[in-house]
Amino acid sequence: MERTVTVEPEAGLHARPASKLVQTANRFDADVSIGRADDGDDGLVRADSMLSVSGLNVEHGESVRVVAEGPDAEAALDAVCDLLTSPVEEADEEETDGGDAEDAP
Amino acid sequence: MRTLAGVGSTPRAGVGTARWYRPEADLSLPDRPDAVDADAELDRYEAARDAAREALRDARDRTAERVGEKEAAVFEAHEGFLDDPTIVEDVAAAIREGTPAEHAVADRFDEAVAQFEGMEGRMAERADDLRDVRDRLLRALLAGDGEASTATDLAALPDGTILLAERLTPSDTAALDPDAVAGITTVEGGRTSHAAIIARSLAVPAVVGVGDALESIGDGETVLVDGEAGEVVVDPDEARRESVRESGHEVIPERVETVDGRSVEVAANVGGEAELAPAAERGADGIGLFRTEFLFVDREAPPSEDEQYAAVTTALSAFPDDRVVVRTLDVGGDKPVPYLDLPEEPNPFLGRRGIRLSLDEHADLFETQLRALLRAAATEDGDGLAVMFPLVTRVEEVERAVDAVESVADDLAAEGVDHAVPELGAMVETPAAAFLADALAERLDFLSVGTNDLAGYVMAADRGNDAVADYHDPLHPAVMRALDRTTAAAEGSDAWVGMCGEMAGDPALTELLVGLGFDELSMSAVTVPEVKARVREVDADAAASLANEALACETRGEVLDVLEIGERDA
Repeated sequence: MERTVTVEPEAGLHARPASKLVQTANRFDADVSIGRADDGDDGLVRADSMLSVSGLNVEHGESVRVVAEGPDAEAALDAVCDLLTSPVEEADEEETDGGDAEDAP
Repeated sequence: MRTLAGVGSTPRAGVGTARWYRPEADLSLPDRPDAVDADAELDRYEAARDAAREALRDARDRTAERVGEKEAAVFEAHEGFLDDPTIVEDVAAAIREGTPAEHAVADRFDEAVAQFEGMEGRMAERADDLRDVRDRLLRALLAGDGEASTATDLAALPDGTILLAERLTPSDTAALDPDAVAGITTVEGGRTSHAAIIARSLAVPAVVGVGDALESIGDGETVLVDGEAGEVVVDPDEARRESVRESGHEVIPERVETVDGRSVEVAANVGGEAELAPAAERGADGIGLFRTEFLFVDREAPPSEDEQYAAVTTALSAFPDDRVVVRTLDVGGDKPVPYLDLPEEPNPFLGRRGIRLSLDEHADLFETQLRALLRAAATEDGDGLAVMFPLVTRVEEVERAVDAVESVADDLAAEGVDHAVPELGAMVETPAAAFLADALAERLDFLSVGTNDLAGYVMAADRGNDAVADYHDPLHPAVMRALDRTTAAAEGSDAWVGMCGEMAGDPALTELLVGLGFDELSMSAVTVPEVKARVREVDADAAASLANEALACETRGEVLDVLEIGERDA
């Protein structure tokens, strides 16, 4: 089974969202793969591989296709798509330290 | 005296003794032996991965505690690379074919690094991450005893070290002892590199991206790192060292006044318990913004009343003689919390955020939070507690929030639980609140301006959108007038007025803000000493004239001219 969703986290599939995706894909008894919606089956990579997921270089707002096979396929799809469609908490409004490095006042 | 230029990443300067950190020097691989016991090599690889994983988790926890969850997340990504099945399978296959473990690891990771190297931005950072993980694994293999780090030397640097390196990985910066390091400078890296971000969080002076010229500096030379100017000075003369002593901004523990005796509180914005001690160490006069979101994010269920009570009393006891301003839960917009099931909104910044959620959808969370706050207000250090409501736009919201406080007080009284009603205030983050500041000040003990959101809403510009970045400067006359309206309203009432946005921490604007009538400025702890020093140089009357001149301007350019500051990044 599969779904196509738009990537919501500001960081795209990098850094935190990517590691969360890999952790999530690993939690289920299912083979989960992910790719750009336009790239068809050839563009699919293993969602449990940080290297493959980061290598997609998917940015915020891009459309991705998630495919899952196996006993927990549906639950895995739910969890992964949930993650992809919720923005990750970014630095707080009033943050001046760390976080948003480009925050010149 | 020689000067090298780089990218300043912490607005501080430090002088010390140069010491090169070259971790790659201890990673020379042994020659490839001919015959390899594959099973033994697989076991070594497995043991090295276990050791590296444990070290990564330690680094994650240490960074989360010292810097923040966001900065710690990089180590979760590293763990992802360490245990990446495609890497693990390839390395194991190479070992089975007779390659020694360290060569199999180095080959496979180098291949992965090459995939990302030379690319832009985030992809290039992945190459750094992969190198970091590779080196961690190799050290564990070469050490042979499962000890997965040379981080020990970084944790045990002599005081007054200026650390020089090709680049610093997140693992390196997590291991650093910030008290021993007077400055950091690297050949590579930009403002957003891990090293730069973490150095900023730890308030260590840093200049990154100096280039190969840095190699001309030898161990033991005296070096000055000026993160403000983005300069690295070898063998600085006395005048230049003196300038550091001046700009080093001695901590001023006591409260400060202007030349003519007007007192201005200089407080810190804090986003978690780990930031309390650093804020106190830098002489903050209390907490002007205690964000409570850290209690709610990254978990499956909301925090209990007792947990929130504990967090607030911890903050109060860190500042027993000062005010601690706690902002009630401010989620929605760009701050989602999964278990709250917030609605998807086409434009969350103009949607269900801040006090709007607390009064309606999440009145239960609000009540729990208020119970914790009112109980904390009755503790020994509780009289300094103040509570403020985020994203207020209507007088009715304030009235309902005050009613909620009173009803919680009644409940606690009926239950026989010790409690007190703290000072109550509203954040002025919207044009509506600025226009209504007089009505809000009448009903509350204080107002606190959040300039980042206020500038965004006044100028109709999203702070996260670079295409409209130059609209986002609070020095636009429209924003300045909203500030003035707020302070003037407070002046005509019994309420005090503070500012907890980024603007408050900019020493170039201290005089203007004092002139506008702010009683309290709250900022990132790192700028507290400098702003305190600036307050002492300000003459309140002259500052008021300056503010009036700035308020008469019609363009941002005119405001910059009046303040005598050059063109700046908005």
